Amino acid sequence: MGAVSALGQGLDATWSALDEGRGGITRIDRRVADSEIHTFAGPAAVCVPLDTRALEKRSGPRPLAHLDPFAAFAVIAGHEAMEGAGLLDHPVLEQRTAMIWGCGSGGNQTIEDSYARSFLKGATNVHPLSIPKQMISAPVSHLSMMFGVQGPAFTIASACASSGHAIGEGMWMIRSGRTEVAVVGGSEAALTYGSWKGWLALQAMSDDTCRPFSLHRHGMVLGEGAAALVLEDYEHARARGAHIFAELAGYGATSDAHHITAPHGRGAEAAIRAAHADAGLAQDTPILISSHGTGTPLNDKIESAALRNVYGDSLGQHRVIATKSSHGHLIGGGGALELVTAIQAMNAGVVPAVLNGLGPDPDAQAPVAWVREERRFDAVISNSFAFGGLNSALIARRI
Amino acid sequence: MAITADQILDIIAEEVPIERSELKPDATLEALNIASLDMISVMFALEDKFGVIIEQNDVAETKTLADFIAVVQAKSDAQAAAG
Repeated sequence: MGAVSALGQGLDATWSALDEGRGGITRIDRRVADSEIHTFAGPAAVCVPLDTRALEKRSGPRPLAHLDPFAAFAVIAGHEAMEGAGLLDHPVLEQRTAMIWGCGSGGNQTIEDSYARSFLKGATNVHPLSIPKQMISAPVSHLSMMFGVQGPAFTIASACASSGHAIGEGMWMIRSGRTEVAVVGGSEAALTYGSWKGWLALQAMSDDTCRPFSLHRHGMVLGEGAAALVLEDYEHARARGAHIFAELAGYGATSDAHHITAPHGRGAEAAIRAAHADAGLAQDTPILISSHGTGTPLNDKIESAALRNVYGDSLGQHRVIATKSSHGHLIGGGGALELVTAIQAMNAGVVPAVLNGLGPDPDAQAPVAWVREERRFDAVISNSFAFGGLNSALIARRI
Repeated sequence: MAITADQILDIIAEEVPIERSELKPDATLEALNIASLDMISVMFALEDKFGVIIEQNDVAETKTLADFIAVVQAKSDAQAAAG
C-alpha cells in the first residue's frame, strides 16, 4: 500500500496523523496567474510537498517533470506500494499484472494553465503536452511506464467512487484468472480555480471545515493526493513471501438510478449488502465502517439511514469513522485512501477519531467514533457513494 | 537578440528533461533518447522565451544537437532581420 495527501507522504506519516488526530485541513488563498478577480479562498487539505528521492533513484532526475499533480501523486503512492510489495522489477509485471486507476476529473491544473494562458495572457497556442498531461488516463500510463506493467491498464471514472470501483474491479481481474496481480488505487488534484468554483456553485463546499455526521456541518472540504494498493493472488503472494496487509474479501457495486447529485439510500444499501454477501460476512459481525462521510448535510443523513437499514440493531457494535475530516475529500482518490487507512486502523487495533465534531446530529445517527478508541476489529468496510448515484463498498479482513 | 547555443541547450535540458552535462553538441537526438514530442516542447519554450518560431519541417533533417542549434539560430537571425 502507499499514500500521499495532506496527512503526509507514506503509510507511516498518514497513519500517525490519523492515530494522533492531526487534521490536514487549512485555509488556502489562491489566484490564477496574477489575475485580480480570479481568486479563491477557504478550507482545503493541501497535499504535502513531494519527496522524490526514491523515484529519482529509479527514474533519474526530475521524475515528475511534465506530470500534472494528479499523475505525480499517483506515481509517488504507486512507487511506495510496489516497493513495499517487493514487486519492483518482478517478472509478473510483464504480462500477469493489471493496473486500474480511479480518477474523478483529470489534469485540472494543466487545463487551467491552458485557459489562463489563452484568456488571461492572450496567447493563441498552448503547451504541446497539454493533452498528454491532462488526459484522465495519464496517471495509469505513467504508472505502467514507470514500473513496466504490460498487462491490462486503464482508468475508471465514477466521480467520488472511482478508486473504490478500481479496487473492486482489480480484485475481479485476479478472481477471474486474468492476472495474478492488480495494482490499483486513485488520485485527484482538484484544488484549482475552475474545480473550486464548480463545487462552490453546487453549494457542496464547507466554509469552515469538514464535520461528518456532526451538528452544524456545512459541507465537504476538498483534499488532494493519491493512494495505491497491490492486490495479489493469495498463493502467489505467499509463495514469494510478500508482506500481506489484509485480505480483500468483498466488493459491492451499485447505481442509484435516481439523480445526478442527490443520493438515494437504496443504492448505498444495496452496495453494502452486496459487499457483505460477496465476503460471506454476516452483518452482525463487528466491523469498522469507513464511511463516505463527506460532511454535506444530505450525504451524512442518507448514509447514516442506509447504515441503520442494513445493520439494524447490530449497528451499535460497529464503529463509523470518517477520515475525510482529516485528509479532505480526494474525489477519485478517496475510496483508495479510505480503504488503506481503514486497513491501517484494523491492523493497529485503533479506531481513529472523527475530527471537528460539534455534537451528534439527531438526523444522522450512527455509532460515530467521536474519540479515538483502542478496539480490535477483524474486518473493515469502506464505502464510496458518488455524484450521479455510483456506489462501491469494499470489505477487507484481517489475515 | 541572438540566442546562444548555451541558452538553447539549457532549454532542452529543462524541457525534455535531461541532464545538462549530457548535452554535447555532437550528440545525436537519437543517442540521447530525445523523442520528437520532446523537441516540440523545446520549440514551444523557444517561442515563449525568445519569440523565435520554428516549424517541425525546419528541424525534420536535424540529427545532432549542433544541427538543431544551427537551425534555431538561423531562424532567429532571419526573423530578427525581417523585424
